[in-house]
Amino acid sequence: MAEAIELRGLTRWYGKRRGVIDLDVTVEEGEVFGFLGPNGAGKTTTIRMLLGLIRPSAGSATIWGLDTWRDAPAVHRRLAHLGSDPGYLGGLTAAETLDHLAALRGVAKGAWRSLAKRLDLDPTVQVKKLSRGNRQKVGVVQAFMGVEPLLVMDEPSTGLDPLMQREFLALVAEARAAGRTVFLSSHNLTEVERACDRVAIIREGRLVKIATVAALVGDHTRSVNLVLARPAENGTFDLPGVTVLSSTGQDVHVMVRGDVNPLLRRLAGLELRDIAISTPDVEDVFFRYYEGSVAGSEGRTTAATGTEAPVETSR
Amino acid sequence: MTALAFRLEVRRSRMVAFWMAVIVLAYGGIVAAMYPILQENAQVFEDYMKIFPQELLAAFGMTGSLADPGVFFGTYIGSMLWPVVAAIAAIILATRPVAADVERGWADVALGTPLTRARFLAAAIVSQALVLAVLAMATVGGVLVIGRLVGADFDPGRFAAATVVLWLFGCAVAGVTSLVGAITLSRAIAGGLAAGVLILMYLVNIVAQVQVDLAWLADFGAFKYLLMTELIDTGVVPWASGAIFAVVAVGGWAASLLVFRRRDLLA
Repeated sequence: MAEAIELRGLTRWYGKRRGVIDLDVTVEEGEVFGFLGPNGAGKTTTIRMLLGLIRPSAGSATIWGLDTWRDAPAVHRRLAHLGSDPGYLGGLTAAETLDHLAALRGVAKGAWRSLAKRLDLDPTVQVKKLSRGNRQKVGVVQAFMGVEPLLVMDEPSTGLDPLMQREFLALVAEARAAGRTVFLSSHNLTEVERACDRVAIIREGRLVKIATVAALVGDHTRSVNLVLARPAENGTFDLPGVTVLSSTGQDVHVMVRGDVNPLLRRLAGLELRDIAISTPDVEDVFFRYYEGSVAGSEGRTTAATGTEAPVETSR
Repeated sequence: MTALAFRLEVRRSRMVAFWMAVIVLAYGGIVAAMYPILQENAQVFEDYMKIFPQELLAAFGMTGSLADPGVFFGTYIGSMLWPVVAAIAAIILATRPVAADVERGWADVALGTPLTRARFLAAAIVSQALVLAVLAMATVGGVLVIGRLVGADFDPGRFAAATVVLWLFGCAVAGVTSLVGAITLSRAIAGGLAAGVLILMYLVNIVAQVQVDLAWLADFGAFKYLLMTELIDTGVVPWASGAIFAVVAVGGWAASLLVFRRRDLLA
């Protein structure tokens, strides 16, 4: 599979202020890639370098082999972009805005109408009279109206109501089904979990994790609550990756890290009255990284120390 | 693609062009309508003007009788109306693509398409030149048409030449403002600098006129080259002045294109 986006040692400083540092990311053609991080982590800086709006201080960003700064016009023929708060011109109606941008991108006039209808957007209203959410709908329509093979979106569902967020996720799924590549920065964890194949987590400008969503969740602990028919013998749960958090005779709460099969085999020999297994979602994982607990437990230094942490990669 | 961007820029400039044209037509028309009164009462006005300080008269370009068409045009249009109108229009229009659009995020949207930075800005520059031309024509046209209607012997050929020089002056302001905007990416800074420098040059020009030993200061200002009185009175077109304004305009715009193409767009 070809590489749609390749960031190699991508670094950007704003004077002495950190933008992003030494990002190494590869996004493969046809995947939906999430770029996760809180405000100020460096997501928008990365996207602005992908769009060729700012120049890297070091390293490179390429889209299908084209340098995003040097070959910006050629890159822009291959991508559609949606910012988190697009600065559309207030005096134009949504229709005029979309027609203008469609013409610049070589998209057929009016190709956006079905999308506008789907997102319940009134195109006759001037942009300045639209609510924040409706302005964002213009952006979503604008991003999806073309056939460019790459969609670069910066916090795209900001301001959308839950119904429209669901519609947005459906559009992303359709784009993926059509073979388009999606690079989606977000701090909406649910959105990332639902939409993305892989996720990169960025913290204070540095990449700390790249993984598939499944691996990201799967790599982490599961909480298992057991109600046994009779109290377990000592050492029943002395298994690799299993930690007993509490045990009050028949009620046992254990945490499992990694492979769950040893625990399941052990449980097969016990008489259970009830069992509840909960897996963490992306949000849990995200907060673990940002709280530094993962960093500490995995031998990495925390952000507070200011020292560099290695990037975890799992698929 | 440039044509698309140009059409949008012209559309965005419509209101500025329209309302400023209304203002210059109204002002030009009113002062032109007064011209026969000035001619008929020339001596009275000259006596009246003598009570004002020389500096004040110099500030408004009143270096002779207001009954003289050149002095009249230079006073009311060349030294007063047009510098103000050209500065306002040039600052509004020239800071828009390189600063205001970057600040509000429109540049990100437009430049996220295959539209190049050069085409984006070039379209805006052409629209600036167009709007300034319309305003220059409205300014001079208002005076000429109303003046002729009330019997003033204004020479259309000389007024046409004045239109060109005034337009080039406006373009020079726009070119320099565009460059400052491309460097600073700030409408407030670029607009403030452009307005401040123009006001400074205006003051320098006044000082140079009233202080003979400081006459050389006028060489550093744009207003010395806005030779409306001589043009209207003698018909001698100040080609050198026009050329200076044109060089500054083209140079400013070209430099702003170069700067804008290569710089980080950070709001």
